[in-house]
Amino acid sequence: MAAVVGDPRSTPALGRAGGFSDLLPGAAGRRRDLIEAFVGAFESWGYGLLGTPLVEPLDTVAAGIGAARQSQLFRFMDADGALLTLVGERTVSVARVVATQLQREQLPLRLCYAGPVLRNAPLLDGRRREAIQAGCELIGHAGLTADAECIALAAAALERGGVRGVQIDVGHADFIPGVLESAGLDADAQRIVLGALARRDLVAVEAALERTDVRDAERRLLLAFPTLRGGREILDTAAIGLGGDRPRGAIEQLMQLWELIEEHGVTQGVHLDLGAVRDWDYYTGPTFEVFSLDSGFPLGSGGRYDSLLERFGFPARATGFVLHVDRCNDVLTRRDGEPQRPAALRVAWSSGQRATALSLAKRLRERGVAAVCDLDLTDPRATDTPVQACSDGVHWIARRARGQGSIDAAVDALTGPAG
Amino acid sequence: MKGLRIALPAGTLFDGACDLLRSAGVARIDAAVFDRSLRVEESGNALIKVRPADVPVYVEMGAADCGVVGKDVLWESARDCYELVDLRFGACRLVLAAPEGAALARGDWSGSLRVATKYPESARRFFAGMAVTVELIRLNGAVELAPAAGLADAVLDITATGQTLRANHLVEIAEAGSSTARLIANQAALKTRSDSVNTLAAALRRAADAARGAEGAA
Repeated sequence: MAAVVGDPRSTPALGRAGGFSDLLPGAAGRRRDLIEAFVGAFESWGYGLLGTPLVEPLDTVAAGIGAARQSQLFRFMDADGALLTLVGERTVSVARVVATQLQREQLPLRLCYAGPVLRNAPLLDGRRREAIQAGCELIGHAGLTADAECIALAAAALERGGVRGVQIDVGHADFIPGVLESAGLDADAQRIVLGALARRDLVAVEAALERTDVRDAERRLLLAFPTLRGGREILDTAAIGLGGDRPRGAIEQLMQLWELIEEHGVTQGVHLDLGAVRDWDYYTGPTFEVFSLDSGFPLGSGGRYDSLLERFGFPARATGFVLHVDRCNDVLTRRDGEPQRPAALRVAWSSGQRATALSLAKRLRERGVAAVCDLDLTDPRATDTPVQACSDGVHWIARRARGQGSIDAAVDALTGPAG
Repeated sequence: MKGLRIALPAGTLFDGACDLLRSAGVARIDAAVFDRSLRVEESGNALIKVRPADVPVYVEMGAADCGVVGKDVLWESARDCYELVDLRFGACRLVLAAPEGAALARGDWSGSLRVATKYPESARRFFAGMAVTVELIRLNGAVELAPAAGLADAVLDITATGQTLRANHLVEIAEAGSSTARLIANQAALKTRSDSVNTLAAALRRAADAARGAEGAA
């Protein structure tokens, strides 16, 4: 009878913390490829890679993010009694570094990062507690060209990672609060409607608007808000009859932003979404989210956050975005299936030829071909090895053809162009 | 609207959900087609029948694009979905009820209170900030039996007609919320399949308004 290896009933020490996952060879490699592609794109746009710790003081994180997100952090105490957290996102860490160590650098500052973030989500809810985020921050520029650069760079990074067919929805954090204000809603009613929108409860939005006196143009906009999506033309539609400087200002900014994105040549797959419901206490200008038909969650998101750095004593405008590497990896798995474990070329050797085999393997690796040198002597009668060092030279099977010759000939045959 | 995956709740809302989809012209189905399979393809959409509490799970995770579910289920769910339309059927209320003749039933809230409920999240929100000490006891069903059995002083439970409460000699003390069926949607589906989702929402809204109008006229 076969032993049940790793049966958790008999070997509790082999358990894994819930909500965390292992990636096997293949899957782990593809995630690494994605991280490298994203960071490679960021660096090619001049964003300097920053390393920030996995742990931050609770006070630092609390200065940067809202109470709701703080409750989802893993918190612990170190030996000195200091309250620490495992980071749930990395923009706050970047802001801390900028405000404390890069404050004399010339602005604008372009920085990027990639690393794990943790979320103390309830167990059994199917969501990851650990995920890799890769993102960019463009600090110290107030103009829409900076927002356009972030959108274009997010699109370029996804493209480089092979995550195709994405949809980018661009909105503005000031639009809906501006509409509520210009509609003449009092502070209480504004708070109720924004709260309902943040909970994505449009039924409650409708009920709240029924109870209050709202001008028709604004009511029409607010009730139609999930449908306020489309190309450039929806901005004109939305602007009809809309009073108030704030919402008009948001629409005007989006009109300019659209032109700037067009100049980047990335409007394919970009939509404008006036109903984008995002964290209003964090974002202060244009925002965007990246979606794919193959994921129920956004693959990335970003926007302008002009007030964050001020909280760290460094008043500077900023915009940025984050890409969710694991969700992108999920999309690739859904499209292409599980990645194959990468194969390495096996180099065998017969009696007395181990040095030849090792030197051949080394040469192959130098040419970018993964090679495994056998640890044991091969039975001389074995004929199934793709490469074998024998006393009469190297024997190889490459592209279904057999060959025999020197190390140089073998390396050329095994790494040279196909056909 | 084609290509949507719609989750429907088994149980009390199921027939109403099927009726509404049919009258809205979304899917020509009746409840009986799900007797053979819990997944049915109809008019280019896929319909699945799951436990009510699982509808927000399927929708949040993107295993379904949309779902029909009672607001009372959403109260208890921490799932992040868009709540698009009040479908107006399946009305019920969440009420605090105590045995006839009990001090509580006369409006005396003093002392500490043991409350049995299937709705612990809603109960926590309801009692939050009230000057009353409450111990919640989570039950999985037949909550109305708890006071007579000596398990609890009161119940926080769903009632549609009040019949069950009366049959168990319980009187309503306060309302903690009112619920109807809702159309919910996955956040990404609302953006990537927006035409289909918005068309579905509009069709169901019209059908729900028409049904409500007919009810009012009858």
